[in-house]
Amino acid sequence: MSALERLLGEFAALAASDAGVDGAGRRDTGADAAAAALRAQGLPTRRDENWHYADLRALEGIRQFRAAPPAQRTADAQLPEPLEGHARLVYIDGVLAGGSPLPASPALTRLPVAAVAASPPADPSGEFAGDARMGLVARMFAPEPLALRVTGSAALEIVHLASSTAANCHSHVRIELDAGASLSLVERQLGFGALVAEHLPPAALHCSNLELRLGAGAQLRHTRLQQAAGHALRFNTLSAELGAQAVYQLCQLAAGDGSERTTAQFRLQGRAASLRIAALAAARGAQSADSQFSIVHAAPATRSEQLFRGIASDRAQVSCSADVRAEATAPGARVQQSLRGLIDGPGAAVNLRPRLTINTDDIQAQHGATTGRLDENLLFYLLARGLEPATARSLLKWALLGEVFTAVEPAPLRRAAERAVAVQLRDATATELLQ
Amino acid sequence: MNTALLEIENLRVNVAGTPVLHGLSLAVHAGEVHAIMGPNGSGKSTLAHVLAGRPGYEVTAGSVRFDGADLLAMAPEERARAGLFLGFQYPVEIPGVNNAYLLKAALNARRRARGESEIDAFDFLDMVRAQMRVMQIDEALLTRGVNEGFSGGEKKRNEILQMLVLQPRLALLDETDSGLDIDALKVVGRGINTLRSPERAIVLVTHYQRLLDQVVPDQVHVLARGHIVRSGDRALALELERRGYDWLLDAAPAVA
Repeated sequence: MSALERLLGEFAALAASDAGVDGAGRRDTGADAAAAALRAQGLPTRRDENWHYADLRALEGIRQFRAAPPAQRTADAQLPEPLEGHARLVYIDGVLAGGSPLPASPALTRLPVAAVAASPPADPSGEFAGDARMGLVARMFAPEPLALRVTGSAALEIVHLASSTAANCHSHVRIELDAGASLSLVERQLGFGALVAEHLPPAALHCSNLELRLGAGAQLRHTRLQQAAGHALRFNTLSAELGAQAVYQLCQLAAGDGSERTTAQFRLQGRAASLRIAALAAARGAQSADSQFSIVHAAPATRSEQLFRGIASDRAQVSCSADVRAEATAPGARVQQSLRGLIDGPGAAVNLRPRLTINTDDIQAQHGATTGRLDENLLFYLLARGLEPATARSLLKWALLGEVFTAVEPAPLRRAAERAVAVQLRDATATELLQ
Repeated sequence: MNTALLEIENLRVNVAGTPVLHGLSLAVHAGEVHAIMGPNGSGKSTLAHVLAGRPGYEVTAGSVRFDGADLLAMAPEERARAGLFLGFQYPVEIPGVNNAYLLKAALNARRRARGESEIDAFDFLDMVRAQMRVMQIDEALLTRGVNEGFSGGEKKRNEILQMLVLQPRLALLDETDSGLDIDALKVVGRGINTLRSPERAIVLVTHYQRLLDQVVPDQVHVLARGHIVRSGDRALALELERRGYDWLLDAAPAVA
């Protein structure tokens, strides 16, 4: 039986038996629509160009797709220090811990679950719909979908934990920012946390689907730190629609031990909407870290910037595809792309795929993509100043990643992000400095 | 005479399988300034990089002793920590690596190698600022990436700043004068002269004698076709300025 058949079979059984989390009958969370869409599209395969570098073999090996039963959810010790000024939501195995508390902020309200169901699957244009298929899985199996509305200025931290190495975690969150609202959003994907033996096939599947809608003039600063241990295969799906003059700054750091795929789709729908993505991926062992960014400029004077830095060690594979399309309706658009990768292992690979599709005459666009090993000239310069080889190599790697770290907000999270990456890179020099 | 700080004997070096240095011998004593001059392709920069330990240079014969130790057996960073400094002809830009951080890390690496404690952060800043004033370098450059966006002159001055901070026992300055205008040349010359002392030695690799107007050498050597073909005092540099190198090339042994 194929993974798709098993997945749909599990969903059908779940739907048949599920009386609803609140016991009042099965709610429409959009899961049925997602299942129908997935049935039509199928699971991604390596034959799909935009899935070529994702770890789909590991997906085939997943034996169960549904979330863990609500039994052993005690993971408080795994929680990181709270971020000052940020309300906190904790998901354990995809279920909100502590009775689903509402964040204590007047600017943040929880919407009825119907709001989640009402949102269509990602990518209104449809062109990139195939890239968001694992987001459909998240919609199908998320035990507790959540919709939030931001009406003023708010700060929210969402922590994702797993109760065991085998626990599946699925989440589906929709956040709507009203016109002029602002949100500092921090997502920390910690999984079960503890390291397990390396190079084992992942035992769990973590799928998250995050949908964002920014009203006119809304501002979103979003940092996502992925540092889950290697027992889980993770698929992050994100879609965002930006209204006029909305500003979205996304900083994403993939520093977990497991293979990961991020699909992020953005539509700059309103005039002068602005998007900045700063992302890094640090992978080692036999890991795969694959990021697929799709940006549509659909309105005049829109701006987007994509900054990606990746380091692949050992036999790991780091990939980033940045696909930008400027529509005819987007004169005056500006696009800036900078993708850089470092190959730091004999069997490691970095695949960078910048792509610009321009359908307007009036546009400023620049892009650059470079992949290579550490520059021997730079290394020798540092050695000739007396630095230890390990220190010199570490410095050069951090120099590559520096631009992304400066984008991490709030500042206290930056240190945690640096530590997570240092650990992931097995960089003893940096780890010691960051203690 | 006392033992040489740097003693090169019959050094033969290949680069990518091609012989470049053909049995070069040279002795530099503490307190001395030597200038190595010569036409393009004579092996000047090869000599500087071999001494600093750059990969890609194959030593096929000969020996180099630095302060009595076998220099060729040491890794590049060990040579630096032992007190050897290479001033690069083309200093690299390292965006993201802070200038001040590199200076401090390099200084502390040397101090640790000598069994000293790491320098206090305030003492370090005081010392670096003082040397920056000598080199007329804007303090703002301290917080920039190493040589990032620096002009050619700023890069060369930054090399000398690093030298002054590290206080090496032997400074090898590879064409530090290239690309400098006359004012910058004077600043660089002043910086190099600051390092002169009875405990240290300086080897200037240069095409032209104009740097030697600022830093007067004790000895001048002409390197041609991988050999030192003539040595003398400063008068030799002045003669080279008048006559060029051709008259000495005729005297250089043919390369096999």
